[in-house]
Amino acid sequence: MGFKDKLKEELFPTIWCPGCGIGLIMTQLSLVMDDLGLDEGNTVLVTGIGCTGRMGGYMHFDAVYTLHGRTLPVAEAIKTVRPELKVIVVSGDGDQASIGGNHLLHTIRRNPDITVLCNNNEIYGLTGGQAGPTTPQGTKTVSSPAGTTTTPVNLQGLVNTSPHAFYAKTTVYHQGALRKAIREAIAWPGFAFVDITSQCIENNGRRIGFPSANEMLMHYKREFRPAPPGSSALESHQLGIVRGTPEERAPAGVAAPSGGSPSRGEAGSGEGEE
Amino acid sequence: MTLAEKTIAYEREELLTGCQAVAQAVRLADVDVIAAYPIRPYTEVMDNLSRIIADGQLDAEYIVADSEHSQFEIVKHASSVGARAFAGSSGTGWMYGFEALVVTATDRLPVLFLVGNRALDDPGAFGVEHNDALAIRDMGWLLCWATTAQEALEHVLIGYRVAEDPRVRMPMALALDGAFLTHSQHMVRVPAAETVRRFLPPFDLGDRRLHPDNPISIAPQVNEDWVMELRRQNWEAARRARRVIEQAYREFNELFGERYGTPFFDEYMTDDAEVVLVGLGTVAMPARTAVRRLREHGHRVGYVNLRWFRPFPGPELRASLARFRAVGVIDRDFAHGSPDDGGVLLHEVRSCLYPLPERPQVLNFLTGLGGRDISIDDVTSMYEQTLAAGRGRALEPAVRWIGVREEAARGVPEERRP
Ligand SMILES: Cc1ncc(C[n+]2csc(CCOP(=O)(O)OP(=O)(O)O)c2C)c(N)n1
Ligand code: SF4
Ligand SMILES: [Mg+2]
Repeated sequence: MGFKDKLKEELFPTIWCPGCGIGLIMTQLSLVMDDLGLDEGNTVLVTGIGCTGRMGGYMHFDAVYTLHGRTLPVAEAIKTVRPELKVIVVSGDGDQASIGGNHLLHTIRRNPDITVLCNNNEIYGLTGGQAGPTTPQGTKTVSSPAGTTTTPVNLQGLVNTSPHAFYAKTTVYHQGALRKAIREAIAWPGFAFVDITSQCIENNGRRIGFPSANEMLMHYKREFRPAPPGSSALESHQLGIVRGTPEERAPAGVAAPSGGSPSRGEAGSGEGEE
Repeated sequence: MTLAEKTIAYEREELLTGCQAVAQAVRLADVDVIAAYPIRPYTEVMDNLSRIIADGQLDAEYIVADSEHSQFEIVKHASSVGARAFAGSSGTGWMYGFEALVVTATDRLPVLFLVGNRALDDPGAFGVEHNDALAIRDMGWLLCWATTAQEALEHVLIGYRVAEDPRVRMPMALALDGAFLTHSQHMVRVPAAETVRRFLPPFDLGDRRLHPDNPISIAPQVNEDWVMELRRQNWEAARRARRVIEQAYREFNELFGERYGTPFFDEYMTDDAEVVLVGLGTVAMPARTAVRRLREHGHRVGYVNLRWFRPFPGPELRASLARFRAVGVIDRDFAHGSPDDGGVLLHEVRSCLYPLPERPQVLNFLTGLGGRDISIDDVTSMYEQTLAAGRGRALEPAVRWIGVREEAARGVPEERRP
């Protein structure tokens, strides 16, 4: 088996715009799944409405393309009924933090053993590039031609309201860090959230001055730095993982991540191990 | 001197999509508060409005909400404090805010909403179906369809005028067929702001306006002691709306030229018609073409384009349709499990005709779902079937699907399933 077996290559080229960051996430997810032996027999994908959500259709897994914002209750339901399955959510920042924000708040509290990969392109991509919950203040978008006036949601702060949660920050440029984050998140016994900065070149990047997707990737390369080991929280533009204390009642059959279960405060660098 | 002579009715003509025309109308209506949340096909309205505001053409608060539910609550309560408010949505987004839509009507707040008609999820289809807007049909809303970008623009103005009238004070939903109208371009005459001001007075909620000088409580808890009387008030308002609508069109015609014949529906080549089709929205386009072609072959057919669905023009439509031998009702919606399993419009039209001593034959065509094209040939076939029914032939079944792949609709055969 190779990672390509996870993909429905017969459906390629995908619906995503050339240069979109979503494909980079799909590649790393497939690689990790291949490494961990995840297949359609033991894993379910739950995706949210949006460009990101289309990923479920391109992978050889049972997948639910949920209503906009509803990934988490769907994932929790599947995990409750079939605790032996790995349940992986893939959805956009709008889906998770805006219309689905209330679910995020409360799913974090219940700490189900699910993994969320949030494609954080700082925009509502599919609907044409309106300012969303993670759009940086001042950004010019089709719904804010003079720049947004609101402050973005602090996803890290939100996830870490739970002492048990796992939060990782990475970008699609940092493929090694991305892969490590996905792998650890899937292994984490409880709620794990991977916040992946990525480029929506067509409905955001070009409008804020990036001539190409590559320029956006180079921007991530320049801007993001691994967090110093031991940081208890990540600064903006820091890559790393912040781990809570795994909850006692971890469901049977789920292993703790390799290397033990560090308590919050150890932000791994996450950079470049592959 | 008539009113129209004193003012310029239209200031310019430009190529606009249905969504752009609505955004221009919101500017002209000098709306105070706009709340937005993207969903196709309505999104182009919010995108255009943000641009209009950024360009300084409209001074309004513009809030991108976190979901439709908050979006609708924002405009509803902006209205309660006296702001003219606008929002819009489509399909499943409209349904997500449904709780707020219901109370906007029971609170009698005259907000105007644009519904870019879209199929309901699942599956996440973008194409037009009317079930989204029709869902509010029993809730105390005004509901009307436009068929061109010009009508869309003008019905935002007419809509506010009717909704805000103290005799009415009901929320107004203006429906535009997704893609076929929201995203098709038309030459549109843009009314002059000065003339619009004469047509649409400033919003005044009177003694129901929430203000420190006027302490009132909105939506207080009442039960069997009051609910029935409140429902009755909504009922009365919907009844009064019919006359207010007529008056609004009269004055609109006076100011802007004879734009509209009858307010509630318009008829195309019905004078000598034997049979007609009745429909909502852009199906009027292929229908009118089919009428012209069939008439070239000597068939006396006509088309009735229903504009206002709420309030439903019962007596007017009854009087009109009584003239024909058969009526084919086109539904771009579904009402699964309803009498004869017909569409929503079928039931409305049939019950409207029931009091007639001699009723036309009524057929129902379910078609164009999920944005499927309704071709001129499709409509021609509907006319042929309705003509046959008018002559007493082929009356059964009453409900017919047009443009469906029958074999595919039966599902994947057992042996081909994975
Ligand atoms: C209830 C509801 N409201 C609105 C929409 C329209 N809609 C589709 S995708 C989307 C947002 C997409 O943004 P995001 O979740 O960030 O995903 P991306 O496309 O950027 O990957 C919206 C608002 C919808 N499908 N359902
Ligand atoms: S619109 Fe943006 S997020 Fe969607 S596929 Fe294109 S680049 Fe990717
Ligand atoms: Mg996004």
